[in-house]
Amino acid sequence: MSGSMTFVPDTSGRAWLTVGLLLLLLAGCGPAEVVVKGDFPSPTMEKLPLTIGIWYEPAFANHEFFDEAKSKSDSSWLVKTGEAQVQMWDTLLTGMFERVVPMKGLPGPGQMNPSVDAVLIPRVAELQYAIPAHTNVKVYEIWIRYSLQLVTTGGDPIASWTMPAYGKTPTAFLQTDQGAVNLAAVMALRDAGANFATSFSKAPGVQAWMQTMLGNDQEVNL
Amino acid sequence: MILRNFLRHFPRIHSRYLARALALASIGIVSGCVTSTIDQMVFNEPREGIGNSTVVILGRRHASDYDTEPDFVECVGDHISSGDSSIEVIGELEFINEFYPWFEPRTAPLQVADLERMMTNQPVVAEKLAALRTQYMVWIDGSTVQTDSGGSMTCAIGPGGGGCFGFGTWSNDANYEATIWDFSESAEVGRISSTATGQSYMPAVVIPIPIIAPVQGTACDGIGDQLLQFLSSRY
Repeated sequence: MSGSMTFVPDTSGRAWLTVGLLLLLLAGCGPAEVVVKGDFPSPTMEKLPLTIGIWYEPAFANHEFFDEAKSKSDSSWLVKTGEAQVQMWDTLLTGMFERVVPMKGLPGPGQMNPSVDAVLIPRVAELQYAIPAHTNVKVYEIWIRYSLQLVTTGGDPIASWTMPAYGKTPTAFLQTDQGAVNLAAVMALRDAGANFATSFSKAPGVQAWMQTMLGNDQEVNL
Repeated sequence: MILRNFLRHFPRIHSRYLARALALASIGIVSGCVTSTIDQMVFNEPREGIGNSTVVILGRRHASDYDTEPDFVECVGDHISSGDSSIEVIGELEFINEFYPWFEPRTAPLQVADLERMMTNQPVVAEKLAALRTQYMVWIDGSTVQTDSGGSMTCAIGPGGGGCFGFGTWSNDANYEATIWDFSESAEVGRISSTATGQSYMPAVVIPIPIIAPVQGTACDGIGDQLLQFLSSRY
């Protein structure tokens, strides 16, 4: 006598409900996660007649900020800004410079990279956030401090400076904490773009380099 | 305990409390009014309206402790458009995105001279403004804040239903100033300020009944009416 036994998984509504509830409970244990998403407009400005290279280090392109809960009543936060950072900087630089070329690797001796006038390397030096639960003020805020480096394709430094960016959004009716943090981050990224676009030529070392590249008689006014 | 007893006897006392709630609501409607003041000082008012030119209304957001609410800016724009459909009001977000990064909180011109300088340094900005036929730029600065609040309310839910009991009250102050810049004159041609104060109430007998004083809306109507008088030939 031969026979076979088939295992039929229990797909009844009750089982799915249990799984769903368990997943919901587990999800409640994780940190509040925000993957920053937004639209960044192209800048309206006279393009600088320069070919600029851009190198995003993996830490920048995948930048995320994790803040562990200080107490049981708090929740941990994970804010992923990397994708939005790259999107904003790509849009900004394309509108600011005549040509923007992504680099294949960190500029330096022996590194094969396309020929450009200079390479910009943005880094997030610091990111802080505040939500109403922390401050009792009905505002969501994000501060970012960038460390910016302008180097030659050979990796020689041209200029190095820091740049702050700030974004805030008031408590909005029917908006989740995550939604408000995302909006504050988008505002901070817009502010970073505005700050960079209007202060690039005034950064220490950049003015002299631009005069060398564009000629002493060319006035650089952004 | 009180609330539990209340919920248990809810069907019996329902009609009595409902009558009281309605009475409180009617008192609230009488008290929930708004006091508003408008001041204006304008020069070079266009005699026949702005014609086929456009106007843009923007909110100031450079202060650290408050932001002019985008909703308020939109409300003023809608008020003008609905008052005179011939006036084309450019949306704030659309304008700010179109002229990025020149009208961000960090970079927005605070004086007409700053705007002139920006247009000289960035001819593309001047070209875009000319293409939009923008003659007037209105900057709105201010916010609506809750000044004080009082009362208490308890809500509970049980097998037989749920409900709230209590009374809450709060007051709001709205304080806004609109500054009008004229591109053709390269000058500031007017200032309109609007303040409004109002008390809101929320009595709750089973169901909370919000009696909201339309403070921000009153300030919006005040500024909108004055701007219509300035910009429109019909007013």
